[in-house]
Amino acid sequence: MLKTEELQINIGPQHPSTHGVFRMLVTVDGETLVDLKPVFGYLHRNHEQLGEVNTYLQNMPFTDRLDYFNSMVNNHAYARTVETLAGVEVPERAQYIRVIMDELSRILNHATAMGFMLGDMGAWQTALLWGMREREKILDMFEYVSGARMMCNYCRFGGVVRDIDDWFITELKKLMQGLPHYFDDFEGLLLNSEILLARARNIGVLPKELALAYSVTGPVLRGSGVAYDIRKAEPYAVYDRFKFKVPVGTVGDVYDRFLVRIAEMRESYKILEQALEQLPDATGGFINPKVKQQSLKAPAGEAYARVESPKGELGFYVVSDGTGSAYRYKVRAPSFINLSALADMCKGYTIADVVVILGSIDIVMGEVDR
Amino acid sequence: MADALTQLGFASWLSVLIASIIKVTLILVGGSVGMMFLTWYERRSISYMQDRRGPNRVGPQGLLQPISEAIKTMTKEDATPRDADKIVHFLAPVVMLGATVLSFAVIPWGRMFPVDLNAAVLFVIATGGLHSIGMMMAGWGSNNKFALLGGMRGVAQLISYEIPQVMAIIPVVLMTGSMSLQKIVEAQNDFAGLGWYVFSPVGLLGFALFFTASLAEGERTPFDIPEADSEIIAGYMTEYSGMKFAVFYLSNYMSNLAVCFITATLYLGGGNGPGVDALGGIAGGLLSLIYFLLKSFALFFVMVLIRATVPRLRVDQLMSFAWKFLLPLVLVNILSASFWVALLRWDQQWPKLTEWFGAPSTADATNWGRLAIAIVLTLLINAGAVALIMRLTNRNVQKHLYTTDEELALGLS
Repeated sequence: MLKTEELQINIGPQHPSTHGVFRMLVTVDGETLVDLKPVFGYLHRNHEQLGEVNTYLQNMPFTDRLDYFNSMVNNHAYARTVETLAGVEVPERAQYIRVIMDELSRILNHATAMGFMLGDMGAWQTALLWGMREREKILDMFEYVSGARMMCNYCRFGGVVRDIDDWFITELKKLMQGLPHYFDDFEGLLLNSEILLARARNIGVLPKELALAYSVTGPVLRGSGVAYDIRKAEPYAVYDRFKFKVPVGTVGDVYDRFLVRIAEMRESYKILEQALEQLPDATGGFINPKVKQQSLKAPAGEAYARVESPKGELGFYVVSDGTGSAYRYKVRAPSFINLSALADMCKGYTIADVVVILGSIDIVMGEVDR
Repeated sequence: MADALTQLGFASWLSVLIASIIKVTLILVGGSVGMMFLTWYERRSISYMQDRRGPNRVGPQGLLQPISEAIKTMTKEDATPRDADKIVHFLAPVVMLGATVLSFAVIPWGRMFPVDLNAAVLFVIATGGLHSIGMMMAGWGSNNKFALLGGMRGVAQLISYEIPQVMAIIPVVLMTGSMSLQKIVEAQNDFAGLGWYVFSPVGLLGFALFFTASLAEGERTPFDIPEADSEIIAGYMTEYSGMKFAVFYLSNYMSNLAVCFITATLYLGGGNGPGVDALGGIAGGLLSLIYFLLKSFALFFVMVLIRATVPRLRVDQLMSFAWKFLLPLVLVNILSASFWVALLRWDQQWPKLTEWFGAPSTADATNWGRLAIAIVLTLLINAGAVALIMRLTNRNVQKHLYTTDEELALGLS
């Protein structure tokens, strides 16, 4: 047997496929991975400390910057936490609007995340740009309702900041006509490709028990075969009124996560259809007028509320001491917790697999480092 | 060309010199301009596959984009890492480009042959093999771990792919009876210029195998492993910038171009096509050049399509693909090529056999009966081999079951 020397490589913080400033300290034997140590914190920007200094409303735009792909979902989760804490009622129309925005976010997130993963795998941008094309359309809708494409700052305590109008609904219906074609195209591009199967199947296997032990959530957990979706397990907003299924993988490999995400996009589409059908008219209002947004004071106590973000369970924990800003503010970021399983998922595979596995977890460094 | 110059009254040494200079200039200019067009062609066509426009600002349809890129790279800072082996670091791109340019010496442009070597096929393969030296020099000389990994990968890949690539040419050499590219092109001129090898079962399989192996040789997706940008940044090119990087780039695209030219020559009849012989002379030569370029760029378009679609293989998967899939098929193809030659040409190739067994019923090369037997036999062998190896590699394509069970969703299952 040849004696070989192990080599330490820094993948990141400046690297094409670390999805931000993330570093993996990798020990390799040839191409095979012996050890992986994730290093992060490069993007740390005092988010949680700021949350304790800001007033409740001031903190809303800061939550946009967590998972900057899905600012709508972040807003929703944060608004829900403060609403729970302050006991604020939310009108039904606002709930539906939030659900529509959440599901649009899920589609755009999965479309780009899978594009990025295939890009990491070496499919030169086609899948990614097709996803980006759909994302652009959705971002245009976001811009119309909130004024910003990515940093939406759309939710308010007790509702949303602006109502959606007929133009939005007709445009959304137009957009949705194109979505099934995109899903079909995307599946047709690579789903059964021999090379994708070779690269994705039985790679980065995360067994069910390990996934639960790491408290991994979202598509990664569902890919490992656990049908846990907060929209079903603890229906928030109006999710109990929609019929949709939770896709579940069997092996827990990269391919399963890929399939789960594609299936989830289709389910999101179904939810969108139902939400548009059931959307109440504007008489109920889109925001609770009784809430003083600027000077909201929550009674002393604590609250934790969570939503099913496209990346997993996104929860905010807020402790109030009765003043206008939080006493303690903590974010349970799905990317961060899913990332903790990375080293166990990667061991024994090659460098080429590591970037694909990282892509299949779907992380956003803004959320990991906070 | 030298003869023509001597007839014009130049001294013989001078005419040889002038002819060589003209040829060398044409090779260099042809290769580089071809490469420039190639980058534009690839970027533009890949853009349309991805729903975007691609370069369309500089010049008509963005055709001058490569020139602006060239100016950009030439004016960039040329950085060498402090701990790099300066000489090796400098020489690596030179070796790479030199190897590529060498192969252009024998590539026929339609029916115009710069140099007609009698072992041109061997020469092309040999120059292709030189690439691995350049890669290893770049990878080792850069003193960078990513570059080293890239260089190692490149060498491993080239070593595995040379073998199926070279052996995929053997059927062509057998069928022609010569290693000269000129002879190979001439041999494909039957049937009004459409007697291309790709239309025979042997040639078809050979074409597929050779082209696949050549993708690996030219580091194209799905075999762009030595420079896998998402894994090892730019592989052996990681520490190169400015003009040195551009030289690597140039050499890559020129070798891709060379691969397309060689494939078109070996299997797609080179410059042969309907009407070339009828026209004859300079017009025929130009037509053959047009045919040849069309075939080559069609081949390159296939490369672009592949690049725009499929992910890349892992390095171990690539090896097993080369050794377990391509190599057996290549060997079978050589077998059926031998049958083909034996059935069609045994009177020409092996006079001894004719002596022993007597001449075949008719010595005509286009004997339809013999041709039909040869086609059926080789088709059976090749199709059987492909079917068998597809089964043996045990692809097991059935999808994962993904249940979408609503009950499961009510909590942790």
